Amino acid sequence: MTTLSDTTLPEPAAAPTGRTRRQGLSERALARVFVAPGVLLMALVALFPVVYAVVVSFQDYTRRQYNGWAGLENYATALSSSRFWESLWFTVYFTVTSVGAEFLIGLGFALLMNMAFVGRGVTRAAILVPWVIPTVVAAQMWFFMFNVSPGFINNLFGLGDINWLGQSGTAPFAVIFADVWKTAPFVALLLLAGLQTIPDELHEAAKVDGAGVFRRFWSITLPLLRPAILVALLFRTVEALRVYDLPAVMTQGTFGTESLSMLVQQYVVQTPNPGIGSALSTLAFLIIMGVGLVFVALLGRDLVIGKEGS
Amino acid sequence: MPVTTMRSPRRRATAAVAVAALGASGLAACTPDGGGGDEMVWAIGGAEAQTGGAFQQIAELWNEENPDRPVTVETLPESADEQREQLALELDAGGSGFDILGVDVIWTGEFQENGWVESLEGVRGDIEGLVLDGPIESAEWGGELWAVPINTNGGYLVYRTDVTEEAPTTWDELCEIATDNEVGGYIAQGAQYEGLVVNWLEYFWGNGGELFNDDQSEVTFDVDLAAETLEWMAEAYESGCFNSGFNSAMEEEARIAFSQGNAAFQRNWPYVYDLTQSDSDDEVAENFDIAPLPTFDGQGTVTALGGFNNAVSAFSNHTDDATDFVVWAATSEEAQALLGAPVLSSAYEDADSPSTQLLGEILEDSRPRPPSPAWAEISIEMSRQIFEAYNGQTDPQTAAQNIHDFLESTL
Repeated sequence: MTTLSDTTLPEPAAAPTGRTRRQGLSERALARVFVAPGVLLMALVALFPVVYAVVVSFQDYTRRQYNGWAGLENYATALSSSRFWESLWFTVYFTVTSVGAEFLIGLGFALLMNMAFVGRGVTRAAILVPWVIPTVVAAQMWFFMFNVSPGFINNLFGLGDINWLGQSGTAPFAVIFADVWKTAPFVALLLLAGLQTIPDELHEAAKVDGAGVFRRFWSITLPLLRPAILVALLFRTVEALRVYDLPAVMTQGTFGTESLSMLVQQYVVQTPNPGIGSALSTLAFLIIMGVGLVFVALLGRDLVIGKEGS
Repeated sequence: MPVTTMRSPRRRATAAVAVAALGASGLAACTPDGGGGDEMVWAIGGAEAQTGGAFQQIAELWNEENPDRPVTVETLPESADEQREQLALELDAGGSGFDILGVDVIWTGEFQENGWVESLEGVRGDIEGLVLDGPIESAEWGGELWAVPINTNGGYLVYRTDVTEEAPTTWDELCEIATDNEVGGYIAQGAQYEGLVVNWLEYFWGNGGELFNDDQSEVTFDVDLAAETLEWMAEAYESGCFNSGFNSAMEEEARIAFSQGNAAFQRNWPYVYDLTQSDSDDEVAENFDIAPLPTFDGQGTVTALGGFNNAVSAFSNHTDDATDFVVWAATSEEAQALLGAPVLSSAYEDADSPSTQLLGEILEDSRPRPPSPAWAEISIEMSRQIFEAYNGQTDPQTAAQNIHDFLESTL
């Protein structure tokens, strides 16, 4: 079975080596020259804000007024504040639970959408609807659904007066529920794309060999889906780590639902204290970048194994 | 290979691009762009700034009377925080796109300290005596006038007349009625945001509390008194006097809960009056009335002042005209008559609407929140402490002490 994974990725089309012996620049060098300005511009656009935030994070401000160099003071303030740790805890908790649930539900949706049956088009469209709705709109909608008044959820399930958004425990649940509802379709979409690259012959051959449904799922579908799964998890994890709109609209960060991005937004925009705000955003950047790198490393190894195996 | 005799394709392409670029820049030059014209721009937000709203009508009125120096309304977002962010973006960059700034009553200090607004001390004589004192006070910082009020606001009690015939005058009385009926308690602005601070200040002021001394050079915050007020809130929430949705309600959630018949009392701004008549269950629409907010000892009432002031941008190219406009908007009877909560004292003398009449009465007992340059920080910290204390997450005494320490740190 292990040899199967070698076929996960089609071998990249043999790149033209371009070692032409004509005069002037080789095709490859020429390509580099043409691409360079674009890369440079992208690097400037992408890197400038990051570098600028790091610089600002070492400076001291009172509200908008600049007071000079601060050294590591802003970081000390951020790291010693309980609000930072509480919001980091919620962000991690939110990421792990919501991405976990989204993955399981998304996988279920993807398998469903991958099946051939009557009404498949309608099912696909229905599954994708939540993903199309803008997050703030979805957040406002779920706020009304969970709120005591008008209390749609309580009325629908006959739950009486449960104050979902106004209690520890249920407030994070409501926010995570809304996120899962909103983004499970996105995961499903990515996984569906992966599922469709798996050739039917493999399943048929395994069937002939006497493998049951579960065995085929475990030994064929899952391993072949690995790159798609990793991509989906990478996207969702990075996005969940910078969650802002859902808790901001649904709970204003009360009852332990303040995310790291909300804290950053408060210091940068609302109060505004650019020094501490930048220190917080730099910390958030490092955390998200670290997680992203882990995924890319996992993905990269997958790609490399795929290449060497063939 | 030198090209001398004929135009190469490359050359031709260059020429074409040049012509296109010229054309584009020519077009751009003819396009009217918001801030660069001769019109004054009045940047203000909220419902009244929308098409057909009172601020738009005021601008039209001005344009009829002053066709040589017209003003246009630049509509800012609905929420005050977003309005402030948008103004700050423009002003921080020294932009002259906005001439007249619609400034919330609590932004005066911040805008002045950032050097964003012109002093209007010179027109104080033109408005004093005509415009209500509370709103003028909210436009002052450091003893100087930095804006001219345009409208005002105050909170009052909306109650169900089928639950109680007489409006309660003390909070204890209100809580007794609120817990003893099936309609579902008292609802107000209890979510963690500025509105909670406003509500709490009304309790705290009514209890004899203060935040700062008069010129805001000293903190006069009584920690024990604040703890007592927080404890009362926690008890009221615990006992069911406060509606179960109290801690996630802002203005609209409070209004909706009341309109749907899920609350016996609500504290809200006068805008809800007409909506409650038109937008409610019949049972509610026919059985409600308004009254001043209760106090702890039953004496008088106290309400936090809301509303907007008009400031003149320090970067404006139309300073004189803009100054004329802001004075006119506050003192013209026609302009002020368009507003539900005018600042012109005479506008209340023969008001028809019961809501405006009541507002005229309670505005005498209204108090501005301190327009400190640190108000944004203070409000965020206070709303956190108050929220956690009344929801039983922090001990009221600790929360009160934290508020005190934070106020000290902003001086």
